[in-house]
Amino acid sequence: MKKHAVWGFILFLLTAGVIFSQGTILIKNGTVVTVSGSSLRNGCVLIRDGKIADVGKDISAPAGARIIDAGGGFIYPGMIAPFTALGLTGYPGAGNDTNETGTSTPHMDPFDAFNPEDECIEVARIDGITTALTVSGSRNALSGGALVMNLKGDLADDMVMKKHAAMVFNMGAKVSGKYPSTLPGVNALIRDKLNQARRYADRTSRSLKKDKNAEPIARSLEMEALIPVLEKKIPAIFVTMNEVTIRGALRIIDEYDLKGILFANGGILKYADRLAAEKIPVIWSGTMTIPRRWEAYDLNYHTAAVLQKKGVLFAFNESAGGPGSRNVRRQPVPAAMSVAHGLSEDAAVKALTINPARILGISDRVGSLEKGKAADIFICSGNILQLSSKVTAVIINGKEIPMTSVQTRLRDKFAPLVRERRARK
Amino acid sequence: MSKKLISLLVVIGLCAVSGGAQDLALKGGTVITVSKGEIPKGTVVIQKGRITAVGSDVAIPSGVKVIDVSGKYVMPGLIDSHSHIALADINEATDPVTPQIWMWEALEPDSDAIRKTLAGGVTTIKTMHGSANVIGGVNVTIKLKYGAPVEEMMVQGVRQQLKMALGENPKRVYGSKGRSPSTRMGNAHSARKAFIEAQEYKAKWDKYEKERSEGKKDLTPPKKDLKLETLKMVLEKKISVDCHTYRADEIVWIINFCREFGIDLLQLSHCVDGYKVADVIAEAGVSFGGWVDWWGFKEESYDGCPFGFTIMNDAGVNIVINSDSADEGRYLYMNAAKVLKYNELTQNEVLKMITLNAAVSLEMEDRVGSLDVGKDGDIAVFDKHPLDSTTKCVMTIIEGRVYFDHAEESVTVEGGAQ
Repeated sequence: MKKHAVWGFILFLLTAGVIFSQGTILIKNGTVVTVSGSSLRNGCVLIRDGKIADVGKDISAPAGARIIDAGGGFIYPGMIAPFTALGLTGYPGAGNDTNETGTSTPHMDPFDAFNPEDECIEVARIDGITTALTVSGSRNALSGGALVMNLKGDLADDMVMKKHAAMVFNMGAKVSGKYPSTLPGVNALIRDKLNQARRYADRTSRSLKKDKNAEPIARSLEMEALIPVLEKKIPAIFVTMNEVTIRGALRIIDEYDLKGILFANGGILKYADRLAAEKIPVIWSGTMTIPRRWEAYDLNYHTAAVLQKKGVLFAFNESAGGPGSRNVRRQPVPAAMSVAHGLSEDAAVKALTINPARILGISDRVGSLEKGKAADIFICSGNILQLSSKVTAVIINGKEIPMTSVQTRLRDKFAPLVRERRARK
Repeated sequence: MSKKLISLLVVIGLCAVSGGAQDLALKGGTVITVSKGEIPKGTVVIQKGRITAVGSDVAIPSGVKVIDVSGKYVMPGLIDSHSHIALADINEATDPVTPQIWMWEALEPDSDAIRKTLAGGVTTIKTMHGSANVIGGVNVTIKLKYGAPVEEMMVQGVRQQLKMALGENPKRVYGSKGRSPSTRMGNAHSARKAFIEAQEYKAKWDKYEKERSEGKKDLTPPKKDLKLETLKMVLEKKISVDCHTYRADEIVWIINFCREFGIDLLQLSHCVDGYKVADVIAEAGVSFGGWVDWWGFKEESYDGCPFGFTIMNDAGVNIVINSDSADEGRYLYMNAAKVLKYNELTQNEVLKMITLNAAVSLEMEDRVGSLDVGKDGDIAVFDKHPLDSTTKCVMTIIEGRVYFDHAEESVTVEGGAQ
C-alpha cells in the first residue's frame, strides 16, 4: 500500500511535469518572421498557456519550459488557408459533404458536417497550415456558410475559431437546362433571395415588436441565413472567374451594401484600382490559372505584384477550381511563383498569413508572431517561399502537433517492406 | 539542271529535315550539365542544332550568334513524359481496345498550350492518348517547335509508345455503359484477349512473309487489321508501352503481363503506389513517371505519398516527374523542388527527374536530357537556380533556335498584353 502511494506520487510528479512543460515552450535559434514587424535573426519565441508570451532576441527559458531549437531555420506564424473544404472530405467511405443540391443553399452550415478525422487536415498542417476557412461548397449561386477552424483537435467544437464566418455566393453558378442558365440569371436569383431576406427580416422584426398589422410568418432557415449578410455582420464571399462575374459581384456588393470579398481566379487586374479604393479584399486564387490565348504567359503569375502595388488587400489560395482539401499544403506555390514574377517576399508571406487573417476577421488572434496572439507557429528549415524547405515542427494553440499524416504512415509501413524484399534478393 | 541549283535544293532539303536547326552560343552563365556537374561562367555552343562544345574555356566559332547569359542558369530543356497538350482529340472512348489510333494525327502545332509550356523551359514532350481504354492509341513524342509542320515537331527515329490504362478509368467509362470492362478482371481480360489475337495475327503474317520470301507462288496475304497491326508492332518491339496505373497490385500485374508477352514496358504513368513496389519496378527496368504531391482526387489515388521518392530512389528506380496537365507542365521545375521538401535527395538527382531520367523513359538519352557534346541544342535558361522556387525561365531554345524569350513575351515588357 505504501509502495503504491510512493509510485502514485512519482506518477503525479511526472504528469504534473508534463503538463507544466506543455504549457511553456521556448523556440530559439531561428529567424523569427514576425510578419507584423521586421524579422529577428537568431531570435526566440516564448509560448505560455497557448499564447505567444514574448518575441525577442534573447529570452531565457523559464524553469520547466520545453526548448525547441529551430536549428537556424525560420520561425513563422501558421499559414491560413482562406478557402477550403477541409473537414468535409476524407478517406474513401467517409464521404464528401460539399455542395448540397439546389441553387440556393445559404442555410448549409459546414459545422454540421465537419469531420475532425478528415485525413486532409493532417496532410495540410504538417506543412504549416494551422487555420483554414471551411466552406460548405461553391457550386451553387447561394452556396452556403463557412467557418474558421484551427487545425488541431479531436472534436469539431474544440477546433472552431469562428462559426458563421462568411456566406459564399458563386457568380458563375449557371445550371444547364434550368434556371438560372445564364450569368444574368445568376445575378437575378441572388438579388431575388436578398430582397426576400430583407423583407423577411423586416416582417420578423415587426412581428417581434407585436405590430398589430404584421402577418404571422413561417420560419425560413434559408432567409435567416442571409440576414447577417444584409446586416454586414458577416462578409459575403463572391466566387468569380472572369471579368463578367467580377462585375456582377461588385454590382451586388454595391446595391445591397454588403461586406464583400472577391474570390477570383482571373480577370482581376482591370478592377484593381476600384478594389483598392472601395477596400474590397481578394482571395486571389488565379496565380496558376493558365492565361487565355491572347494573354501573356505571365499575366496571372504577375497579378499579385500588381495587386500589391495598387494597395489591394489579398490572400493567396492554392486551388483555382474552388475549395480544395487534398493539397491545401500547396499554399506556398502561388506565393513563390508570384515572387518569381515581381512580388516582394515580405508581401508574399503576408498574403499567406496576416492578410487572410484580416480578410477573415481573425487578425486579432492569429496571422503574426505578436505577444498575446495564439501560438500558431511553424518552424521551417529554410524560407517557406522555397518549396524545398522542410517544415520541422508545427505548434497550434501552444501545443506541438505530431508530424504525422496518412502519408508518413504509408512511408513508415512500406519503406521497411521494400527494404526487406531487396535484402532477400 | 545545273549543279548549283541541285546543291541549293539539297541545302533547302537539309534545312527542312533539321527543322530550323541553328547555330547559337550561350556565354557566361552557370551551366548545369545534369550529367557532369555545374560549370560556373560556362559556355555552350550549338551548331546546326547540336551541342558542339560545353565548358568554361570554349572558343566560340566565328559567325555563331552569341547570347550573354551572365548571372543566369543554363540547363538542358525540360522533358515532360506525360502530357496531353497540342492535341485536337485525346480519348477515342468508344471501345476498350483502340490501338488503331495514332495521336500524331491529332497534333495541333499552333496550339497555344505549346507557347505557355515553352515558357516553363520545356522542350520535349510525349503527348498522349487518354486513359479511357485499356489499350488506347499510340502516343507521339514531339519537340515544342511552335507552329512548325507536324513532321518537324515529331521526334524522328525514336520508338513511339502505345498508351495502356488500368484501374478505375476504363472500368468507369465502359462499366457506366453497361459494357465490359467494369472490373479490374475485365481490364486484364481486354488486354490479354487483344494481345493473344495479335500473337495469332503475327503468326499468320510471319508465315505468309516467310513463304513469300521462299518464292512460293499464288499466296493470298492475310487480311489487314489495323488494331492488330499496331499490336503486332508492339510484339515486334517496334512500339513500346506506357501504362497508366495507380495501385501496387496493377503495377505488378502489368510488369508481369508485359514480360509474358515480350512487350517493352518503358513507363508506368502516375504510378501513385509505385513506392510500395519500388523493388519490382527497379528490377523490371521500367521508369516511374508521376507526380510529386497529387493524391486523393479519386479512390485509387489515396495512397499517393510525396515521401515515396526516397524509397524509389534507394531501390534504383528511374524516377521521372511529369505533368499530365497543361497547367503543371508549365512549372515542372517547381514540382521537382518539392521532392527535396519530402526527401533527402541531391539537387542533381532531382533535376534529372525532369531531364535525363525523362529522356531515358523516352529512349532519347543519347539525344536530349543533358548538356553534352553531340546532343540536341535544347536549353532552358533560368534567372536563378532552377530549384530556387522564386526563379523563372527567361529563355527556351530548341536545336539552337529561341522559341521563348521572356524579354519579348512578358506582360511586364512594353507592348506585352495586360
